Amino acid sequence: MATYVQIDPTQKLDPFKAVKKIPLEEYFTSGHRTCQGCESALVMKMMAKAAGPRTIVLGSTGCMYVANTTYYSTSWVLPWMHTQLGSSGSAALGASAALKVLMRKGKMKQEPINVIAFCGDGGGADMGVGAISATLTHPDYNCLILMYDNESYANTDIQLSGSTPWGANTTFSTPGKVKRIMHRRWKKNMAGMMAAGHPTCRYVATVCMSYGLAAMNSMRKALAIGGPTFIHSLDPCPKGWDYDPYISHELGELAVNTGIWPLYEVEDGVLKLTGRTQQIAAKKIQRQPVRDYLLRQGRFAHFTNDDIDYFQSKIDEMWEKWLVPGVIPFRTDVEADAPPSS
Amino acid sequence: MGRLFAIEIIYRGIFQKTMAGRLSRAIVLAAHHEGKVGISFGRYGDSPERNGIPAKGFAIVATDEQTLQEGMAKYEPKEVDVTICVDDTLCKGVESWAWYGLQPVNRLLKPGGTLIVTSREGPEAIIAMAHRKDTPYQLSILKGTVSFSGLWVYKDDHTDVRILGAVAKILPELFSLKSVQRAIVDEWHDELKATSAAKAYDRTTSITVTPDQGNPEVPYKFDLPKWHEMGEGIAIPSIPAGHKMDDPKSHAEGGFQPDRNPTFLKFSTRTMRPVVNFDTCIKCTLCWLQCPDSCFDVTPEGLYDANMKACCGCGVCEAVCPVKECVTMVNETEFKGNDSQWEDWRKDKDGYKVWLEEKIKHPPERSHGFRYRGQYEEQIPEMLEIAQEK
Repeated sequence: MATYVQIDPTQKLDPFKAVKKIPLEEYFTSGHRTCQGCESALVMKMMAKAAGPRTIVLGSTGCMYVANTTYYSTSWVLPWMHTQLGSSGSAALGASAALKVLMRKGKMKQEPINVIAFCGDGGGADMGVGAISATLTHPDYNCLILMYDNESYANTDIQLSGSTPWGANTTFSTPGKVKRIMHRRWKKNMAGMMAAGHPTCRYVATVCMSYGLAAMNSMRKALAIGGPTFIHSLDPCPKGWDYDPYISHELGELAVNTGIWPLYEVEDGVLKLTGRTQQIAAKKIQRQPVRDYLLRQGRFAHFTNDDIDYFQSKIDEMWEKWLVPGVIPFRTDVEADAPPSS
Repeated sequence: MGRLFAIEIIYRGIFQKTMAGRLSRAIVLAAHHEGKVGISFGRYGDSPERNGIPAKGFAIVATDEQTLQEGMAKYEPKEVDVTICVDDTLCKGVESWAWYGLQPVNRLLKPGGTLIVTSREGPEAIIAMAHRKDTPYQLSILKGTVSFSGLWVYKDDHTDVRILGAVAKILPELFSLKSVQRAIVDEWHDELKATSAAKAYDRTTSITVTPDQGNPEVPYKFDLPKWHEMGEGIAIPSIPAGHKMDDPKSHAEGGFQPDRNPTFLKFSTRTMRPVVNFDTCIKCTLCWLQCPDSCFDVTPEGLYDANMKACCGCGVCEAVCPVKECVTMVNETEFKGNDSQWEDWRKDKDGYKVWLEEKIKHPPERSHGFRYRGQYEEQIPEMLEIAQEK
């Protein structure tokens, strides 16, 4: 980075070498009122574990606010503060700036403190995208914005968000007798957008808690590299996706193995596909059919074979037609789009 | 003054949300056929629901409009004629979103009121789970596997209409079988459902539970600060950092036990619990790492003990465990206490082995929702068959 950037030192957070090296201490613990098999709660647990005790967490409204801090109780060990729905970006920047000033003025001991602001897909990809974008352009403030994406406004009983995949059943897109497909938008490409649009942001990554060690190491890198960073996590949601909580972990794996959820990191502008995604791109393993993923979830129970084929064709496009496969949806030619009649 | 009827439905959040809504709605519609007025609603304090966390719905019916209005002036009924409990594991108590601590399943029942429970268990097992009540009440068991599904795909196994048939038998002043069958056909256009309701009506019996029967424990409760007692900025004390574990036998210290939110024990959030075989555990860490509720305590020798104060019974630990039958999910009705399995194992390994094998040998089937398309269609015939058993 250029020398004019006044960046404070960050904590030294080396990657955990193996699952057995992961510390036993929990900084986000039990007693939250999330659903059985909640993968977003797992994001909180892994995030707190990865960051360690010298961390401040800010959470915008969503499941991970409402369920984790019910009336005068909490499951946070770390200091945590609620912030408004769209303000995870502002809260991260503000907390980081405040720490910087307090330390400069000698009101606090000089020490690197992690600042993490999390948001759901509603708070992040919909309402908070402006503030997150603004924060990622400020190179002088150390903070991580972590978006836990369960593909709907899950807290208020599953309204569709900019992150909901095409065709999914939500409170706002219930399939009817006349029209089957009530949601015709495609999921917003948050991580790709943040990486492509913010040259000052040194680290952007996608993660999934089914690959917990890799996810925690991404978080540690995001916190240690300095400046504002962004991580996007895909979290299977038993409530909104309508499945038996028992298969939470398996669905995360399926999302990656079917190519729907590519795992990658962009560090100082250098793109690196990671984990199973890297193996898929290198053709070491084959992408699993998207059908395997869709048929496991009640939110896609109304899909016909045509719908499944169309969904598959859009995932194939991600990998075969995108100039940066799985990451950036630029194409060399205009493609015709022919969704099945609904 | 007319008569007011109150019926509550205690159910598992999300898993049985659709069923509870259908039940309370159909109760009111059936009462309409007898010239009564009513209203059906979900308990606001339980919203937004979470999978598995207990919730309540109500149907309030009156013989005239004025009585209904008087009944509805309360936020929710103080006593009910019938409590419908659609999951037998809830008989251990209800710890919901809406309050702190455990409430007995029969808490709102009027003296002589009826508790309807869907279960495969007999009355002894249900009575042993439910807390004692000062006044006698009736217990009626609707035989069948507990029906769970999700928000979007409903498992239409007739549990709802069978309960409606049972209500007609138990509370004939509310509505007759004929009225409830009319409401069922109007709502769901299915004569077979009306037949199922009639069959349940014929089979429904109840027994009296006396004040000396049931679980003698006093349900736990927590006192939290009132709004005027809260500190500035509504700051909440955080949870302490946790501590090492103590071996009950050797008193060696080690491992790690996290401190937990003390005001929410998950004793009644579970419908299943993991049973761990410590002898075959390979210490791979996966159950501990992948548990969204951080329920596993790490023992001094590096084993993982599912702490029942934190486990909500999702089953992810069983799903990720690479060893066969090392972690097995077993129906919550099979257990009495919430003690540490690891401590039991440390004290008596042979005894634990016998206990474990007995628990995991014939775990009763319980389905927590949608695993693949077509699964409900496979399950429904079997569930209907169990429902028809004498």
